[in-house]
Amino acid sequence: MFSKRNLVAYAIAFLFILVLNFALPRMMPGDPLMAIYGDEALIAMTPELKAQLVERFALDKPLWQQFGAYFLALFQGKLGYSYYYNAPVLSVILGRLPWTLLLVGTSLVLSTMLGIILGIESGWRRGSRTDRAMLAGLMSLNGFPDFFLGMLLLIAFGVTLGIFPLAGALTPYSGLSGLALVMDILRHLFLPVAALTLAHLANGYLLTRNTMITVLKEPYMLTAKAKGLSQRVLKYRHAGRNSMLPVVTQTGIWMGRVVTGALFVELVFAYPGVGYLTYEALLARDYPIIQGVFLMVAISVLVANFLIDLSYPKLDPRVSYAY
Amino acid sequence: MNKKVLNLVPKLLIPAVIVSLLIFPSCPAGTPEISSYTIADSTGDWGYPSPYAHYSRGPGYTRMSFIFETLVWKDTSGFIPQLAKEWEYDEEENAYIFRLRNNVTWHDGTKFTADDVVFTFGYTQQHLFQWVDSSIVKSAEAIDEYTVKLYLSKPYAPFFQDVAGTQPIMPRHIWESIEEPEKFAAPETVIGTGPYTLADYSKEHGTYLYRAYADYYLGKPFVDEIKFVKISAEMIPAALKEGSVSAGDIPPEVVSEMEKAGLAVITAPVAWNAKMMINHQKEPLSSKQFRQALAYAIDRESLVQITQRGYALAGSPGMMPPTSDWYNPDTPQYEYDPAKAKQLLEGLEYKLEDGYFTKDDRLLEMELLTTSDFKEVGQFVKQQLEEVGIKIDFRTMEAKTVDAKVGAWDFDLSIYGHGALYDPAFLKKWITDEDFKSARYTSNETLNQLLEAQLTEMDIEKRKGLVFQIQEVYAEDLPALTLYYPKWYWAHDGTVNLFYTMDGMAFGVPIPMNRLSFVK
Repeated sequence: MFSKRNLVAYAIAFLFILVLNFALPRMMPGDPLMAIYGDEALIAMTPELKAQLVERFALDKPLWQQFGAYFLALFQGKLGYSYYYNAPVLSVILGRLPWTLLLVGTSLVLSTMLGIILGIESGWRRGSRTDRAMLAGLMSLNGFPDFFLGMLLLIAFGVTLGIFPLAGALTPYSGLSGLALVMDILRHLFLPVAALTLAHLANGYLLTRNTMITVLKEPYMLTAKAKGLSQRVLKYRHAGRNSMLPVVTQTGIWMGRVVTGALFVELVFAYPGVGYLTYEALLARDYPIIQGVFLMVAISVLVANFLIDLSYPKLDPRVSYAY
Repeated sequence: MNKKVLNLVPKLLIPAVIVSLLIFPSCPAGTPEISSYTIADSTGDWGYPSPYAHYSRGPGYTRMSFIFETLVWKDTSGFIPQLAKEWEYDEEENAYIFRLRNNVTWHDGTKFTADDVVFTFGYTQQHLFQWVDSSIVKSAEAIDEYTVKLYLSKPYAPFFQDVAGTQPIMPRHIWESIEEPEKFAAPETVIGTGPYTLADYSKEHGTYLYRAYADYYLGKPFVDEIKFVKISAEMIPAALKEGSVSAGDIPPEVVSEMEKAGLAVITAPVAWNAKMMINHQKEPLSSKQFRQALAYAIDRESLVQITQRGYALAGSPGMMPPTSDWYNPDTPQYEYDPAKAKQLLEGLEYKLEDGYFTKDDRLLEMELLTTSDFKEVGQFVKQQLEEVGIKIDFRTMEAKTVDAKVGAWDFDLSIYGHGALYDPAFLKKWITDEDFKSARYTSNETLNQLLEAQLTEMDIEKRKGLVFQIQEVYAEDLPALTLYYPKWYWAHDGTVNLFYTMDGMAFGVPIPMNRLSFVK
């Protein structure tokens, strides 16, 4: 099922990412300490502290020893220290992560499910008026970047109609609790999720529809039909399941970008996620945070890939014999 | 991350919001309630508002200043008593004697005394406070329970601005046991003497909740609750209009729209400048006449109209903005005069051939280096300099690269901006400091002496004279050229009388969030 060779490939990829993450700040122009600690280092650092940091990062030692120190710190869960936030990088990122997961997770589930269902229905009715309308509609939606859709939604439903809030993930200091608080969070979630879902819906839809059309021509579909199975079973169990493979791949790729995938949408809605954090870190030139986010993105791409590799044989056992 | 796309988001959103505001009239601002006042901020999180944990930016200090107070403070017209009710300067001993109020309590009920002031100045010797140079106060001594004497290490003219009006006084009974103040953000580190106490702070959401301190010595503040909430910059005008926030900074384009909606708009005395850095260490820019030719060649008035859509003041070559009390109206201005620029270049033996100057058959060509923030300004400057015959190779680069190149003197011209233009103490920092953001110009002895002298001149009128001279000499030498000062605007619902503090709050924070607006 899952070969040793695969594991080795993952290990190499992981190591490569670590090396890159280690090398980048040291390759930047100027003092590596400045690159590691960002602009704040200029303001906040006393000479004693500087000496202490040089020692901690082994910056006065040969490169391989520096890498050793970096590697060791990483395995103790130390992603570095942000001088801007005056806090460890890991805790800053973890504070934002739940909101990103909520936002991106919800829209990922919604856009994938809707995409698959619409794709199946559309492919089943290939050439009909419904199919053509859906195809044209979703294709044009696909042309909009997510942040642009977000802006349109925000201006229409937030600014003009005033139905949805203008910013944030919840109403600050509203005194809400329990169900009212959940409703408040959902109200704030609605527009950004809608923007992300609409923008990414077309991908799943197009992939499913295309595969569906191919699958419908397969001889086993004729057999199934001849067995007298109901239309629903034909459509979803026989044709649908077999059309899902590319969507799973695509969702997997998207999942890898969960951490920063919503950057622009978070920016438009001032949503307190990791994407927004990345943007702020770029503006403040807070390199430790940027590096931390980079590492997390890389790791989540690896994990997503790993999960796809695991789920493939379940969807299509033939993949196991593909080597 | 693609920076172009990043920049695109606000760029698209601002016009979109403006258009939508124009097309769809929204409901008028709701009836304001003084029980709660909400301030919008596009960044949100500025750190835990204790003296050591807030982020080293003006808004971080502002959030702290609602809780912690200084010996003196400022309002619209200048310094006023705060924790100290009166003071005098002892010239012989170079010391300030502050007589403190005797009815001040810390938020935990403990009495505030001279001992806390002595402690604060001692503590900052061990643990540097980010905004105050701890070497200025040599030692502090309590004369009695409510009198304190601060000995200065040297005469220091901006003492009120930089020290007495900036250093928050901290309670001894809490801080004496704190060893690592930067890493310590517990509720007891936000016990101050100010009109407000911190009820909540959320790093993720970028929100703050303050409650009025009932026993405040100037009377309980009339706004019960102050909230700082995070809203993207583009949405602040819409939030102000719908009444969900009471105050916030706004882009200049929506000023008239806000006024029409019945909101009050205030504008700050300019506090920030964009300037052209000139590599005065390198030929031909090392020549004063050459640098003056550059100044004559750039029409700073048109620059403001074209690149800043008119929402800025044209730069004064003396760096000090014309809105300042310290501004010298006789500073050489180098009014736009391309003919004069050409004449100066010809005086330096350059010859005009096919539209460009040459010398010894070599084209007069220089590189202009900026970050993408100054792309439009850079384009404008390039065009203007090329019009008089200086070929410009204009490049935008990533900020760190620009900084590194400027820092290493590996550039010809660059454009860059900085704030802190209030107290003239900044002049020394931006002219002679060894920082890449400074002009690093130390070759004029007269200028150096003037810069030193104004720092130690305790007589205000005499100091003003020195500052006037500095502007003249600096503008004459032109080691860098201030191009413009952008204008900033805030809109608010009028329930609280917000104002811009004279010369900025404390060391010069140009934000109209003076805690005094909420008291009395």
